[in-house]
Amino acid sequence: MKIWKRLIPALLVLTLLAGCGGDAQPSAAPGGTQDGGPSGTQGGEKVLNVGRMAELFDMDSTIATEADCLEVISAIIEPLFVTAPDGAPTNALCDTYEVDEAGTTYTFRIRRDADWMNGEPVTAHDFVYAWRRLVDPATASEYSFMMEVAAVKNATPIIAGELPTDQLGVSAADDKTLVVELDRPVTYFLNLMTFPSFCPINEAYATEKGSQYALGADNLLCCGPFYMSAWDVGGNTYQLKKNPGYYDADKVKLDAINFQIITDPQQTMLAYENGDLDYVRLSGEQISKYETMEGFTRIEEGYLWYLSCNLNPKSPEYSCGLENENLRKAIAMSYDKDTICFEILKDGSVPANFAIPNRLATGPDGRDFRETAGTYLETDKEAALACWEKAKTELGVDEVTIELLYDDSDSTPLIAQYLQSEIENTLPGVHLALKAQPKKSRTELMQNREYQLGLTRWGPDYSDPMTYLDMWTTGSTYNYGEWSSEEYDKLIQEANTTLANEPEARWENLKQAEKLVMDQAVILPVYQKGTAAMVRPGVTGLSFFPVGVGTIYKDVDVNGTD
Amino acid sequence: MTEKRTAAAVSDRDFTLAGRRDLELDRTYGSQSFWRDALSRFVKNKGAVFGLIMIAVIVFLAFAGPALSGYDYRTQDMAQRNLPPHAAGLEFLPFFSGVQTRSVGGETVKTDVYAEKGIKHVTHVFGTDTLGRDQFARTWTGTRVSLYVALLAILIDTFVGMSYGLVSGYFGGRVDFFLQRLVEILSTIPTTVIVTLLIVVMKPGLASITIALMITEWIGMSRVARAQTLRLKEQEFVLASRTLGESTPAVMFREILPNIFGQIVVMCMMTIPNAIFTEAFLAFIGLGIPAPLASLGSLISDGFKSMTMYPYMVACPVVVLALLMLSFNLLADGLRDAFDPKMKEM
Amino acid sequence: MLKYVAKRLLISVVTIFIILALLFFMLRCMPGSPFNDEKITQVQRAALDAKYGFDQPVIVQFFNYLKAMLSGDFGVSYVIQKNMPIAELLKARVPVSLRIGLQAVTLGALIGLVMGIVAALKRNSPLDTLSTVVSVIGVSFPSYVFAMAMSYFIGYELKWLPLLYDTADPFRSTIMPTISLCMFSLATVARFARTEMVEVMGSDYMLLADSKGISTFRLLGVHGLRNALIPIVTVLGPLTVELMTGSLVVEHIFAIPGMGSLLVSAIQFNDYNVVLAVVFLYSVMFIAVILAVDILYGVIDPRIRLAKEEG
Repeated sequence: MKIWKRLIPALLVLTLLAGCGGDAQPSAAPGGTQDGGPSGTQGGEKVLNVGRMAELFDMDSTIATEADCLEVISAIIEPLFVTAPDGAPTNALCDTYEVDEAGTTYTFRIRRDADWMNGEPVTAHDFVYAWRRLVDPATASEYSFMMEVAAVKNATPIIAGELPTDQLGVSAADDKTLVVELDRPVTYFLNLMTFPSFCPINEAYATEKGSQYALGADNLLCCGPFYMSAWDVGGNTYQLKKNPGYYDADKVKLDAINFQIITDPQQTMLAYENGDLDYVRLSGEQISKYETMEGFTRIEEGYLWYLSCNLNPKSPEYSCGLENENLRKAIAMSYDKDTICFEILKDGSVPANFAIPNRLATGPDGRDFRETAGTYLETDKEAALACWEKAKTELGVDEVTIELLYDDSDSTPLIAQYLQSEIENTLPGVHLALKAQPKKSRTELMQNREYQLGLTRWGPDYSDPMTYLDMWTTGSTYNYGEWSSEEYDKLIQEANTTLANEPEARWENLKQAEKLVMDQAVILPVYQKGTAAMVRPGVTGLSFFPVGVGTIYKDVDVNGTD
Repeated sequence: MTEKRTAAAVSDRDFTLAGRRDLELDRTYGSQSFWRDALSRFVKNKGAVFGLIMIAVIVFLAFAGPALSGYDYRTQDMAQRNLPPHAAGLEFLPFFSGVQTRSVGGETVKTDVYAEKGIKHVTHVFGTDTLGRDQFARTWTGTRVSLYVALLAILIDTFVGMSYGLVSGYFGGRVDFFLQRLVEILSTIPTTVIVTLLIVVMKPGLASITIALMITEWIGMSRVARAQTLRLKEQEFVLASRTLGESTPAVMFREILPNIFGQIVVMCMMTIPNAIFTEAFLAFIGLGIPAPLASLGSLISDGFKSMTMYPYMVACPVVVLALLMLSFNLLADGLRDAFDPKMKEM
Repeated sequence: MLKYVAKRLLISVVTIFIILALLFFMLRCMPGSPFNDEKITQVQRAALDAKYGFDQPVIVQFFNYLKAMLSGDFGVSYVIQKNMPIAELLKARVPVSLRIGLQAVTLGALIGLVMGIVAALKRNSPLDTLSTVVSVIGVSFPSYVFAMAMSYFIGYELKWLPLLYDTADPFRSTIMPTISLCMFSLATVARFARTEMVEVMGSDYMLLADSKGISTFRLLGVHGLRNALIPIVTVLGPLTVELMTGSLVVEHIFAIPGMGSLLVSAIQFNDYNVVLAVVFLYSVMFIAVILAVDILYGVIDPRIRLAKEEG
């Protein structure tokens, strides 16, 4: 029949289409490695399985910015120092060091037994190369400013492209001696050295790999307790294995760490319960289910979530009355921070009545900054209402409508809705319109000052209040509200220069500066973020930090998990 | 169809009635207008009538539901967060007891959350959400948005998609060529990309969602309408009316359209879930209806986040959504059977 | 026929060019840039813009992109995996999405077709009702409801299948995603098949063929199905491409490294090159499928002459 003759090609096309699928199947797993998946502790090997929400964005220590990446980098390439469980910097690649009397020249001696995995020793030259790479304008590293924070000589003009990179105040006196010159003494310099941006990079290796450096597991040269054994590019797993040549290999008990990327928090928990994962982060409502279970851990983080007010709107479109100090204070005191932290988030977040978070920095007196500084803008609905009445008279209005900009990350939408309800209930006549945007767009709008009120966060980069206070100086990129105070600028300027060698006086200045920001309600603090995690009982040695590298895996041990 | 069989071997066997067919050869139909005819057939279809009633009930609840519950969609009560469904005085009903069942370490634990909080007199028919808002009020408020999106989808489908496909298919040639290139360009960019980009560039909100749907939702329909028209336009009855001098619009809408109506209605009903899911997708990536307003889509994607914890949070909107879809589908089947003259005797 | 295909291919190239141009300019209209992280300064941003050529006029950027693209270079990712060539990034993900998509469509189309035909033949029987119920459920519930329910009961409670996608065991770990994704195409195909078959079965030529007493199989396969296939192929084509390019939510649930999640995060992170490359891939597949569908029309129903379309 003729019909069959016509049907056959049709069927052929269909089979062909299906055949393409068949051909694709064997190649479905090329990037994957056989042992890439979560596997539990198998055959005497000690394996830690970690759940992750996002992929690894970058493994180049001079470019990486994401917390997850920094964690992995510091596990595979150590900096000079790492943070000990008590928060103090402790020697890693650095064997001994000296500081001169002025506090501006550091001499680090690098461990003799520290080697890269290709057998070459880790040298001072590797540090010089990496540090120059960090400040090189061609690298355009977001974290190049860390070199300015560390006040390394000439960092600022090099980043601006005014001087060549070889003018950076870092040099190799010999293969194992690194000399760093500073413009001024920096009290927290050793703390800074724990930050992965200051990790060494083997020059010969990086040059050989060129643009391929750090793209994929085969393009990384490691010298840390672990090395990257698999990184399924664009995939959902990556894996670290113990580095047998690590100088402290005896102390490293884990044989491998598997990371599994799961974006859905419920699936993460199902996988944890199934035994596929040992260390996961919890979010949202999952917490109330697991908070009573063994292994539930609350981790304090340094992130401060706050409402940023546009104080100097460049056009009437972004003006909504927030220029008025009393209105800002009214809003700041109108919402119940306890409910946000202990009812909605429940992840260890604490109410923020401050601009500098807890456990961020220790002062010259050996006490946490928060212990000696005051508290500000505590929730007080009556005082809020009184401020709102004053603001009404001053502004000559009965009602204001404010647009609250927020992004769609984690619990932010819930918080934004709660804030809206609280503010509107406490302050009759204040209306909030909610505007959700993807994070990149939200950041862009705030950086362009095209917003009225924004829910945003700031994470500390180093253990000093300056990591926050620097933000509100006149002309700072991060001064989203365009607040400007001569008094404040002067305090910060002094703390950075004349008072650099007088820690006590400097500390007082910083407290003064925080007080100024809070008294004028430049930002309206909401909460200091915490993270809830489940760590399988039997897993020991995980340490968590609010600043810099979040989790350190070196001392982890797995006991008794099946 | 196509066979060129000659009547060479005609025998009695060829004319035997297939036993299962009930061919009442002599039945005469009273002359009825097309619409009355359709109506009488529609009413006989139980499923379709059920669908219509369900839609009416859903529409009624969507507008009156929040008022009936005594709550509104945005009032938060931190003392009443994450409550399971409960109807005071009707605790004997299995779903509304206010008892939460949860497995803790392999054991099933039942807690009467309302008794625990000392609020046995409070009624939340669908429970409450993470911010202590009444889910009943929110679900029905959200249904409004979804109904709006559904209505919009039907309108876009029929006005834009159907006409576009008819014109393209009927005229063929150069017109078809250009119209199809346009469709090709629009449909070749993934819906996800168009919709997300549009919403990001514009401000998230109902207006942006409307525009995004207008740009994307009619394409499937136009393709079906075109394919059907292509199939029919060469057929004898179309040729006949053309030869008889009927005007082009008349041929298109009077001759071709009724013959493809079944497919059009079915396609329409396929677009509705699609449109509602597109809205839900936007809610999922945080670009849907601005909070605190809700849509069924955003309720599902919010409830979804705590599905293993509080299954009712996602169950209620999903059930409403499914009922809505079911009703639309039953209605669509009924409409198709009622309007399609060829289905008459079956 | 060959001439027709050649012409269509030429048109496709133009279409893809227009799409790329449209998308390129639309992406640049988006607020934000790949480089506006919380901590970046104006100076660094300018440096990054210069490094990746964003300081040039958009039109120059577009032609630079096209030029590189024609030589097979799709650029590098700006955010998702910094400086990773796009080809590398997609290499691992494309096969995963293709696989799951094709499995879902094949399964859905086959079951849907059988269900639709059975329902049409046994109208108003329990089988018909069953098929209607299944197809209504299929279009009424979003795919993630199936995904979530299956992963909870089958993956977690019963532990029959892996909860998450596993590169080492792609077959077993794609069963649940495939089933949850196939429901919609299954339902769509079943409904269309039923409607069409009912219509076809009632047509005169079927009555004729039936009364001539040919076997049921030939009646259905040769005369019935062939006429019912047109609308099914019409909806199935685009659906296939859509499924092959991945579904965000299902990927999210099963931790599948597919293209759906990649595309959405690329848009949210303003990772332009990734968006462009994924859309390019999608467009090529889509145009190929549409072309195949148009050719199939002619094969299925000879009355639709392709030549006619040439005007």
